[in-house]
Amino acid sequence: MENRIEKRMRELQQTGEKAFITYMTAGLPDMEGTKELIRAEAEAGIDVIELGIPFSDPTADGPVIQDASYRSICKGTNLKKVFDAVEEVRRDCQVPIVYMMYYNTILHYGVGAFVEKCAAVGVDGLIIPDLPKEEQQELSDALARVENAPILIQLVAPVSADRIPMILENARGFVYCVSSMGVTGQAADFHKNVRAYLENVKAASKIPVMMGFGIRTADDVAGFMDTIDGCIVGTHFIELMEDSDYNLETAKEYVRNFKEGLAKAAEIGYANIKR
Amino acid sequence: MNNKKYGEYGGQYVAESLMNTLKELEKAYREAIKDPEFIKEYEYYLKDYVGRETPLYLAQKLSEKYGTKIYLKREDLNHTGAHKINNVIGQILLAKRMGKKKVIAETGAGQHGVATATGAALFGMECTVYMGEEDMARQALNVFRMEMLGARVECVKTGSRTLKDATNEAIRTWAKNAEDTFYIIGSAVGPHPYPEMVKQFQRVISEETKRQILEKEGRLPDCVIACVGGGSNSIGMFAEFIDEKDVELIGVEAAGCGIGTGKHASAFSVGQAGVLHGMRSYLLQDEDGNVQIAHSISAGLDYPGVGPEHAYLHDSGRAHYVSITDDEAMEALRELCMAEGIIPAIESAHALAYAFKKAASMTPEQIMIVNLSGRGDKDVHTIADYFKDRGYK
Repeated sequence: MENRIEKRMRELQQTGEKAFITYMTAGLPDMEGTKELIRAEAEAGIDVIELGIPFSDPTADGPVIQDASYRSICKGTNLKKVFDAVEEVRRDCQVPIVYMMYYNTILHYGVGAFVEKCAAVGVDGLIIPDLPKEEQQELSDALARVENAPILIQLVAPVSADRIPMILENARGFVYCVSSMGVTGQAADFHKNVRAYLENVKAASKIPVMMGFGIRTADDVAGFMDTIDGCIVGTHFIELMEDSDYNLETAKEYVRNFKEGLAKAAEIGYANIKR
Repeated sequence: MNNKKYGEYGGQYVAESLMNTLKELEKAYREAIKDPEFIKEYEYYLKDYVGRETPLYLAQKLSEKYGTKIYLKREDLNHTGAHKINNVIGQILLAKRMGKKKVIAETGAGQHGVATATGAALFGMECTVYMGEEDMARQALNVFRMEMLGARVECVKTGSRTLKDATNEAIRTWAKNAEDTFYIIGSAVGPHPYPEMVKQFQRVISEETKRQILEKEGRLPDCVIACVGGGSNSIGMFAEFIDEKDVELIGVEAAGCGIGTGKHASAFSVGQAGVLHGMRSYLLQDEDGNVQIAHSISAGLDYPGVGPEHAYLHDSGRAHYVSITDDEAMEALRELCMAEGIIPAIESAHALAYAFKKAASMTPEQIMIVNLSGRGDKDVHTIADYFKDRGYK
């Protein structure tokens, strides 16, 4: 079976569309709510759903996601329950799903068992912010042994510089381009050299480039349409859901508007290039 | 690709945005420790500013009572009151050499925070110390000391509001500001090269101890004992003895209210490895793989993990790790006060409490050395509260 992320990326490339990805901490407002949200976003045309597995010590996250993780843990969310939720959603929904999680959660579950479970329930990708390329061997070996195993998504940072080719070698799915230094959720405070950095990544990458960290609206990324293939919204999406009391219509509207905004920005971008 | 590790422990489990920072740090560190000028400056400050070397003191009354020779390495006599300053001087000189103007640090009991604030004042650097809200209340005096020294103390209100969370916050800040900020880690923990660097800058403890015991006794000790939170004073005390196979190495963790109660800070007691604060090592965790909150009466041992080299020494059997409860440590603390006129830090009292137990299996001719890592001035409120509740005067 073709990996759902790669399938979606291929389809987007064929139509020239930009990808839109949201992040949501699993288990908020509760597990039922998480399942409903996945289905609603899928219906609204989301390209990939990033599902956060809450961890007690999320060192790559800012205050909003830290707080979301904490509340989710207090509600009893754990990896096993998220697996159950994904398994259930998969019966009627094939939207690409990526887990965003810290490495200790995987080690604790058991690396081999974790990979097999991901493949069995239909998790398509993994984003692990505390597992740089140098520490990936153990997990990569386990992923290579299992059929339909998820893709390990690679992250690059504004200071990755000479590390970029090494990180992108054998990378699959998409590359996650962290747009600012530090943690998630610093509103549109992109790194000072963000354009040169994105161009650098784009030039080195054979797979789609997604920009993340600090993005709220399609306008925030409109100026980068020539270098990125899509973007990821996390903190702002959590705030939006919190403020609307997890209203599914709000989520759908946000996804649709964002996709339209990206389409418009892309059109203008292409027009500019032609001119 | 294989990262520098101690067996399967250690490594660099950090965000990609810190990887080049760690590589620069390692390069600068390797150059510095090979540079005679750097070493000369480090040794100068240790001698004329910190007040080294510290004495190796034969505690005669305790030796008589317990029937074996008990020596105390007096790290409590260092400037700022503990061994922490040794490492801070080393790292801050490195920060200066790398052209950094700002330093950040995490602190639990406040000793590393005070040492960092001291070093920052000495070298004219801007200093921010991250400290859990809970620890700020327990160690109000040290908060005041840091502020007197010109540091900003950032109150951390996330998670358990202790050292673990202060470290998380320091890592987050570092990831954002690494371009101009040096992170001074206080224990033998964190991503490579920190555990190695901290050992290097604490090695002076065992270098002196080895020389001193050879002068006094003409032979090496039978065992050395040190308390272990993250493990900086213990790795410093072990360093020169690791290759001396006849010297037994004993690390003492905090058993808090007792291992069985679950309220303790003994990473080795549960025997499960995990990843926290950029390293892989033994780690206290719950059934879902979340990090468990440690407990100890001593804020300096109140840490759910342990340095990766200790994990390696544990598995290889070269060092032994034991644990001491709050009550046992406080009893040993009182005994040292009464018998020798020394008020130790509660952390160091853990090492002492185990030394008293260990003495039962030793002869009068044998020698043990206990690292007295810090003095108890910072703990007087905790000590007073503890004994008041138990009817002591």
